[in-house]
Amino acid sequence: MSNLSLFLGCVAPNRYPGIEAATKKTFSKLGIELDDLEGASCCPAPGVFRSFDKTTWLTLASRNIALSEEMDDDLLTICNGCYSTLKEAETELKKDSGLKKEVNEKLFETGHEFRGQHDVRHVIEYLYQNIGVDGIREIVSNQLDLRVAVHYGCHLVQPLKEAGSGLVTNDITFFDELVEATGAKSIDYEDKMMCCGAGGGARAAVQDATLRITEKKLQNMIEEQVDCIVNACPFCHLQFDSGQQDINKNSGTNYEIPVLHYTQLLGLAMGFSPEELGINLNSTNTAVFIQRIKEGFVTA
Amino acid sequence: MISNIERCYQCGQCTSVCPMGEQEQTYRIRRFLQMEKLGLETEESMVVPFIFYCTTCYKCQDNCPQGVNLVDAVLAIREKAVHKGKMLEAHKKVGQMLINYGHAVPTNTDAMEKRGLLGLEERPPTVQASIEGLSEIKTLMRLTGFDKLVAESEVEEQLTENAAMVQQADFTQQQVAEEKA
Repeated sequence: MSNLSLFLGCVAPNRYPGIEAATKKTFSKLGIELDDLEGASCCPAPGVFRSFDKTTWLTLASRNIALSEEMDDDLLTICNGCYSTLKEAETELKKDSGLKKEVNEKLFETGHEFRGQHDVRHVIEYLYQNIGVDGIREIVSNQLDLRVAVHYGCHLVQPLKEAGSGLVTNDITFFDELVEATGAKSIDYEDKMMCCGAGGGARAAVQDATLRITEKKLQNMIEEQVDCIVNACPFCHLQFDSGQQDINKNSGTNYEIPVLHYTQLLGLAMGFSPEELGINLNSTNTAVFIQRIKEGFVTA
Repeated sequence: MISNIERCYQCGQCTSVCPMGEQEQTYRIRRFLQMEKLGLETEESMVVPFIFYCTTCYKCQDNCPQGVNLVDAVLAIREKAVHKGKMLEAHKKVGQMLINYGHAVPTNTDAMEKRGLLGLEERPPTVQASIEGLSEIKTLMRLTGFDKLVAESEVEEQLTENAAMVQQADFTQQQVAEEKA
């Protein structure tokens, strides 16, 4: 079995480093050493850069995969957008030798080569398939007594569907199962599979409209009295966390739902403190949530 | 023709489930597809900037009875616009970030401080901590011409919904006038 490199992307290391810390801590606890992917760049983002110039998008994506291949590693992403870009690039280049040759001619200029002998993995898909729900359940030391609104995110689902993973069915559950392996309860809510609003460059282009999409999701979650949102993507994380503050500022509302990446939820269940996982570093105030966690909102 | 858009028969099932279409009257996927099919490039103002509002959520594609690869089509229509020099100001900035820093969202002092609190290196081990890595991706962007593409694009005004409605009304009036003539 090949080892794993950690592909950081942009938003996790540069806006929500708690997600990076949580990923390293939880994988270490699982006995998996994640290699740093030194010199990696933006994936580059699937909605914007792919639509500006597909050749540039594919070339930079293939360099990121090549860096991981040079260490004989599969590449692990913690972001849906990065997964969409890197999985699609991997699939296209493995399938089309002409395209691979074209990309490699450019990569050779920088001393790299896309060989196509390794895989791109998403952290949720990896945990589900390689560790398994039972494996997670076994390693959890704190049972989390939380009502969770699971947000899959569009670019976790679509690449898995295209790859024929078998995980995407009408009754999609793999992410909910992982959440429930921590003792938490995944609460059904209206339009659960709807977009967070941010993707495709829309957040930059029409932020107000994207926040209205986000607010609809927030309302549906509040309706079900959830304790927190759990996502699989730093960009969805940003849209929900920082978005709540934008909405509050623009509309005088008072949204205050804690937003966690799955690795942070898993970290809590493994016994790491909220501070070690950066849950206190969100834009939306998480003090009440953290207090409740510390007062035994979790049961050992 | 882009992707398989010839299969579109204008039923509108795409827009009926589109979260952006629900928020922005100007965002109508089937119209973009039809204009692309008919080659109506003179009415480009009906497409740009709106085509850049897609969140790429794939709901339209999941709901299309004709199996049109709608997201690919939207992205390809965008790519044509960008290659004609049409880019939104916000997207041009994102492009410049990639060219200058190798990240669409580069680090800032707040992030470096938070990383310190978490016991992480101040700069993540990406191109942000690798002069060589940054120089490699700059080379690649020069080879693909991305640096020029971004530098030479005009900036498109990002229209508010009201401005867009006015523009749409002007367009309809113009159509009516042309039909009368």
